[in-house]
Parts: sequence; C-alpha cells; structure tokens
Amino acid sequence: MPAADGMVVFTASDKVKARRKATMEFITLNHPVDCGICDKAGECTLQDYHFEYNGGASVSRDAKTHATKHFDLSDRIVLDNERCIQCTRCVRFTREISKSNGLGMLDRGDHSIVRPSADGSFAKDAYSDNVIDLCPVGALLAKDFLHKARVWYLKATPSVCPGCERGCGVNLWHRKDEWMLRSPRQAARNDGLDRVTPIENPAVNGPWVCNKARDLPKLLGRVRAAGALFKGAPAPLEAAVLEARALIAEAKRPVAVVSSWASNEELAAFKAALGGRLALVAKRDHEPQPGEVVQDDLLIRADKNPNAAGVRAVLGECGTEVPKDADLVLVWGEGFDFRAVPASAKIVFLNAFLAPENGHADVFLPVSIQTERSGHYTNFAGVTSRFERCFALPPGVLHAEDLFGSLVGNGRGA
Amino acid sequence: MPGRQLIMDFEVTPTSHTLADYKARGGYETLVKALGMAPADITKEVTASGLLGHGGAAFPVGRKWGVMKPNPGEIHYLCANADEGEPGTFKDRWILEHAPHLLVESMLITSYALGVRHAFVYIRGEFDLPCRRIQGAVDEAYAAGLLGKPVPGSDFTLDIVVYRGAGSYVCGEASGLITSIEGRKPYPRNRPPRLTVKGLFQKPTVINNVESLANITGIIRMGAEEFRKVGTAKSPGTQLISISGHIAKPGVYEVEYGYSWAKFLDEDCGGMLHGAKMKCVVPGGISTKVLTRPEIENLTLSHESVNPAGSGLGSGGMIVIAEGTCMVRLLQVLLRFYHHESCGQCTPCREGMGWMHRIIDRIVAGEGLPEDIERLYAISHANDGTTICGMGDAAGFATVGILNKFRDEFEYWIANKRSKMDGRLECRA
Repeated sequence: MPAADGMVVFTASDKVKARRKATMEFITLNHPVDCGICDKAGECTLQDYHFEYNGGASVSRDAKTHATKHFDLSDRIVLDNERCIQCTRCVRFTREISKSNGLGMLDRGDHSIVRPSADGSFAKDAYSDNVIDLCPVGALLAKDFLHKARVWYLKATPSVCPGCERGCGVNLWHRKDEWMLRSPRQAARNDGLDRVTPIENPAVNGPWVCNKARDLPKLLGRVRAAGALFKGAPAPLEAAVLEARALIAEAKRPVAVVSSWASNEELAAFKAALGGRLALVAKRDHEPQPGEVVQDDLLIRADKNPNAAGVRAVLGECGTEVPKDADLVLVWGEGFDFRAVPASAKIVFLNAFLAPENGHADVFLPVSIQTERSGHYTNFAGVTSRFERCFALPPGVLHAEDLFGSLVGNGRGA
Repeated sequence: MPGRQLIMDFEVTPTSHTLADYKARGGYETLVKALGMAPADITKEVTASGLLGHGGAAFPVGRKWGVMKPNPGEIHYLCANADEGEPGTFKDRWILEHAPHLLVESMLITSYALGVRHAFVYIRGEFDLPCRRIQGAVDEAYAAGLLGKPVPGSDFTLDIVVYRGAGSYVCGEASGLITSIEGRKPYPRNRPPRLTVKGLFQKPTVINNVESLANITGIIRMGAEEFRKVGTAKSPGTQLISISGHIAKPGVYEVEYGYSWAKFLDEDCGGMLHGAKMKCVVPGGISTKVLTRPEIENLTLSHESVNPAGSGLGSGGMIVIAEGTCMVRLLQVLLRFYHHESCGQCTPCREGMGWMHRIIDRIVAGEGLPEDIERLYAISHANDGTTICGMGDAAGFATVGILNKFRDEFEYWIANKRSKMDGRLECRA
C-alpha cells in the first residue's frame, strides 16, 4: 500500500514483531547457514537481520531442502541455490536496469530456483556483476573473489574507475595493515586489489558500475616497470632524470604527448613546469578492446580514458598528431604508437607498466599508478571526483607530479 | 430440487450447449434488451440485485463494477475467471460444458455495461471438454455475427479470447491470472492499485468468476427486483454447489440461498454413502474451515447463516467426510497440495507450506513430536496476513480448522505412531 497523508504505520507493535520474527524463521528455514565458508559473511544482510529480529536457534526438526550448490551462471559468477532466499532482486536487475533479461525463476514454491535464460544473455550482460552486490546473501559470488579473503580483513578505499570517461565512483578493497599476509608465498597479494564495488553517486553512476570496473584488479595489477632505462639498459633513477632534463633543455622543437589517465594535479604540475616549453599533443591511452561494449545508454562511454576532459580543462585544446619537425618527444603514459615519432627525434618515455616500447626510448622513467597516489579526475559531464591512495609507492618509481619539476633546468650538470 | 433454479433451468441433452438450442430456449434475447438500455443502468441493475461473487470471497459484483468508470477513450478489459482450481470445486465446469452460451451472452452484456471491447476467458489448463465447449460457443458466436463485429441492431462490438492456463492454483487469483495472460509467471500483485484501476496490461480490468457472470443474463432478463425474490435478503439468488466425498449422490446442484443444509444433504444428495454417519463437512473448497454435523444441523445454505459459524460457503466446493475417516491423513493430502501449489513469491507461504508438509509427513511416518501440533498452529498464524494473495491465509485457516476440531487424532498418532481411525480416507460399505 503506498504511503498517504495522515497514514499511521506501526513498525514495532507486538503483532508486527511476532510476524517479523516468524518471517526470519521462514527465511532461514532452508538456508544452509554455512557462513563459515561463505564469502558474504560479515556483510550479509541475512546475518544482520537474524541478529536484529530473531536471534534464536532454529525451531525446525526437519531436514533442510537441497538445491544446486555450485552452478556456473557465467564465467564471472557462481550461484549457490541453497543460500538463495528467492528475493528475486537479481532477476529484477536484469529486467529493469541492465535489460538483458538474463535471469529468471524456475519452478515454484520452496523448490523455485534462479536460472539464466537459455539464450545466454546473462553471460553477455556488461553489468552482470552488480547482482553480486544486490544479493543479500552469499548466493551470487564473484569467481575472481571466491574464497580470497574474509571481508573483515579488507578495507575499502574510495576511488574513481579509470575504465572510461564516466568516472564511476568505486571502492577499491585491499588488505588492512593488521591483516597483512606474512608467508613469502602469499605476500605478493598484500599489494594487490582484492575486489571492486560501486560507490553510490546519483550525479555520476547511480548505484551501479559495469564489469570493467570489477576487473580493475587485473588492469592495475599488470607487471610493473621495475626501474629507469637508457636505450633499454637499466640505469640509476637520478641519472635518468638528469639525462631527460638535458634532452628537453637541448631540444629545439620539443613535443609532449599527454596522458588522459593523468590526474588534474599531475596535469597542473606538468603545466607549471613544462607547459610553456613543449608543444602539446593529447593522447587516448586506451581504446575500446575487441568484444568490449563501446557505448550504451546506462553508463559505458566510448572514450575509455578517465580524464580527457581534465586534459582539455587544464591544458586547453591540444594537437592530435606529433609534428613532423619535432626533435624530442616526451611520451606520458600507455597506448602511444611510436611510429608517429620522427626518426631523428629523441624519446623520453614515462610509463608505469612493463612494455616492449619501454626499451625503445632514449630515456625511460617508471611512474606511479592510480592506486599509489591520490588526485582528481573530471568526467565527460564536468563532474570532478577524488580518488584516494591505497598503497605506498614502490621503490624505484616516481610520481609524475613530483618528476616534472626536476625536468626543468639546463644541462646535465646543474 | 433444492429451491428455484436460475442457471440449471433446462434439460441437459447432447445438443443443449449449442447456439441453436440456446436460442430455442430464449438465448441472446436478453442481449437485445440490454443493448437497448444505457450502460450505467445495467450496472445499477446489477448493484440493485445484490449479486455476490461466486469465486469464494462473496464480494458484491455491483461494487466491483462501480469502481470501474467507463471512459470512452480508454481501454478496459473483462476476464472471466474459469481457472477453477480450488479442490472440491467443479461448478464452473458445469456452466462451461452445458451453458457456454449463457457465459458468452453474459460477457457481452457485462462488456457493454463496462465499456469493454476485448474480453478474455481464462480457462484452467486441465479442463478438456469445458475448453472445447466454450471455444466452440465463442466460434459459433463469431460465425453468427455476435462477436467480432457490431452486434445486429447496435454499434457495440466485442472480441472474446479463450486463454488456456498452464495449470497452477495461483492463476485463479485475480492478479495472478492477469499476470499469466500477460505471459509472465503468475505472481499475484500487491494492491492497491486495485485491478479495476490498473489491471491487465496496466488497464482497468474487471475479473469475475464464471458463475457470477452467468447470473448477469438472468438479472437483466428478470430485473433486479424479481432476482431478489430468489434466495434470502442478504444472499440473493442461487449458488451452484459441487458436492463430493462420502455422499450418495455427488455432483453439481443449484441451491437457492436459504435452503436447509441438513435437508440438502439428506434428501437432495441422498444422504451419506453406504449409510455412514457424517463426521464433518468442508463447506466451500478446502480453504474454508470444516464444520461438524451438529454444527450445521440448524444452518441454512446462505452467507449470513454459515459465516457466523466460523466458516463460509466460499466457492461452493462441498466435501462430505464420513465417520471413521482419518483427519491426519486428510490434512496430509491437503498440505501436500498447498506445498505443491505455493508460487514462491512470499516467504511465509513459500517456506511455511513446505515446512507444514514435512511435519505432517513426519507425523504420519510415526516420527511426530508432541511440539509438532503447536508448530503447525504457529506456522498457520505466521501466514495470516503476511502474504500478497490469500493462499497463505487459506492454508492456515484450513489447517487450524482441522486441528481445532480433531486435535485428539493428531495427539493419538504422535503418541501411538498409528492412526486412531485405521488411516482410512475412503468410506467402506
């Protein structure tokens, strides 16, 4: 019944309390209560409501009903029908939000189960992972996060998804300091992201994010560039910075290819240090990958970079191609085709990840990634969002923001 | 014959369901009369007749119609609810098999009154002959020019679609029924909005039981005043009662409201099977509470007489149970049905029906616990008013009705691991 003026609703009368307690008893009647091995434990609303509204042991003396325990909904999501409490939120999500109609309820009564539609539309749903958050219990779980960590070992750092120019608010989950893994075999996991969940922001993404945001741990967890290089040979970081500074100082017609994954702070530092000295070219670091949804009506945008609008706002309109007469090109970030550089020009390359191109540059400098710094991105609609630092800066790596100041000067010695 | 007959007022012959025979006994003459009246006057006449719905809830038909305001620009729908699924009830089947044209004529009149141009007959999937008969009648009416194009002598047009259900108890619930017509799982809907405001395809929809609709032609033909002379002041007209169980002459009877219940059982239905003694009777479908023989001795078959006894005439599905029948086994059959038919939308019904079924199965297996009886009560109470449709409540009523009156049989089975009544459901000679 919809709310109306003057309506009085009793939410704590004895009758309401008794019915609520009984309904909790019904919901847990056939629930396996295998919280000890369930990824949802700790953030499960069924656990919370049980303690809030019932709290007692089961009064049933009968065996629980059984259903499929491990059903592959897609290559991303696994379904446990015994934990499912048939709330049908996931079914409604695919019907009302993602519009893939990928899930439905099969059969009826206490043997009804969630199943994907026969046409496989759920596996193609670019927003499918939102049903994991929507699920009030541990019936829908991410295969990437399955049995990875208890949620109370993790902390959420607010951030912005760099997957496209929408700039959805996300929480990046990583291990708390007091729960760091000690064994050498597992220690590498301490510095990685465990999972990504959306931050509700009506101005940008509402309560949803697409599957690309869920895959950020893979995107940001790629192998990093370990140290500076001179024409492919390892070099001390300080010497490499001085060499880059000398190359820029000597150049007659230097050009900078600017990253659209740079934060507004980094862009401002770049402009203050080098903005007047170099001609500017804007770069799209990432292009749509084969099979990726390019653009849709819900969230996904065609420009797969988070801060193209920030580049325009801080640096103004930039060129799109490297001038033919350039004698030095400073390339900042991934996704640049080095064939566009004139053959005689020197190359200074700033990149975070290990790539074959790193060795082609005259000077290569490793820089930090988003999770190692804080800053702001401006999305396509002009909304600026802040992201926070998750991890410390690894040794041998520089923040681009700090680096630009050291690139101003004249000659090698000074 | 239990009182005057309004619907079963003709002799059933191999051709009595056809258009020719129906016209020969005055069929479709009332339609001509109705088309000469203003639509609002038909609704007024039906309201004045005091006709009560025959689907089970006995909701006044006129009041349901009154909510729908015919608006020439808007689409309205009419659905005849022929999804007769209540165990023990088979009276609509009689109308569909033997008087399908009475339903078609009544739907034409109702549609004219309510501004409907598109009507449905939602028929239970298990019905075979009734489905062929009503489809045959609709086809005949199309061929005769009564449907599909303006009715001769007026500009009123109606289309009737016979929609066959896929077999589910919940489809008989009005909002579940229209969801099923829309092509989805028949989950009942929360109200408000009422279906007469937002129903089928989000348009105002009137859903009436087949028997309720079948009465419309008679009301318009004889007038509300004449109709009210049949039956009692509070329950005008007649009710089709489908009687089954341990009774000598089971079948469908048309009973005038106010007729003596005992006389109906003992004389019209030929008394108990094999001369047995009567233990109790389910008055109107298994969702109504059972009444024992002493309780019904002085009652008449009318809502104002049966309701104060703590039960109701419901859908008219009367089941007579003889002395010696095991009520534990009876409740087991009943709960198996409810468990099987719960749609699974609301938690108390989805989980509660299965739980009650498992408890009664355990009792019958000789593994019952003394606390089980209280548990059955508690589950029934927890279903009361907590579900979207009435199915959870109905199962609770039926269970509580049997437990209240025959608790000793349950206690006996739990204590002695066997039935007090030899576990029989049949009545032997």
